[in-house]
Amino acid sequence: MKGMGSAAGNRLDELFDARDDYDIVVRVIREEDIVVARQMAKQMAQDAGFSLADTTKVATAVSELARNIYRYAREGKIFMRKTEEQGVSAIEIKAVDKGPGIEDIDLVLTKGYSTFERSLGIGLSGVKRLMDDFEIVSYVGKGTVVFLKMRSRKI
Amino acid sequence: MIRARVVPTIILFGCMLVPIQIELDDATVESLQNQILDEIHKNDKIKAVIIDVSMLDIIDSYMSYTLSETAAMARLMGCRTIVCGIRPAVALTLAQMGVPLSEGIEVARDLEHALLLVGAPFLRG
Repeated sequence: MKGMGSAAGNRLDELFDARDDYDIVVRVIREEDIVVARQMAKQMAQDAGFSLADTTKVATAVSELARNIYRYAREGKIFMRKTEEQGVSAIEIKAVDKGPGIEDIDLVLTKGYSTFERSLGIGLSGVKRLMDDFEIVSYVGKGTVVFLKMRSRKI
Repeated sequence: MIRARVVPTIILFGCMLVPIQIELDDATVESLQNQILDEIHKNDKIKAVIIDVSMLDIIDSYMSYTLSETAAMARLMGCRTIVCGIRPAVALTLAQMGVPLSEGIEVARDLEHALLLVGAPFLRG
């Protein structure tokens, strides 16, 4: 999904300052916050009864998003919450920044594409492959929001 | 120049063992890379580097990138690098993301297997 147009910028402000019912908010300002974010995600996935494999996926996905925020936008926030749908627990994550935005979302989701020199260019496309739901909304010059959702798998 | 060692290493039979037992943030990963190259440079007995990641419960794309890059750098200095002990959940996550960690780097099941691969003399019986 490509969100362009300036009127939509207000929605980004709303998302950035959202004080809705997310359980945890991690502000990503320093590089060490990447570790904090992924540890919080891991803890939440464990609390939600996720398997070790799914916990690792969620924590890794959050690590990638936090790094993207730090690298490209300098700062942002990661919101996390536990939900439940028909008795299945799930985790929803929203990563928001007011960075430069993404001009061509399809391009950044191409494996191997990166504008950062020390990178595999796998972060976002990898996150998309790990999660059940994945959506990016980006406004060039205003910022980017990434939504993730992962449902617990009962084995 | 004195640089703090990020991970205490053990050198035996020309192998440098690097057991990672701390949570690695990006700066620490970079320091570890510097440390490994520094130690290779200072000790010409080192012919192989074995990085044990069995304590790491998360390895993301940047850590993978830096590990592969470190292996490439060590190779240029004449050293083999083997990563061992990748956990099942980490393997699953990396494979699903499409991170090609095992392409540029040798992997082993555990420390013992890694030592066997480099032909550590005490294991030859």
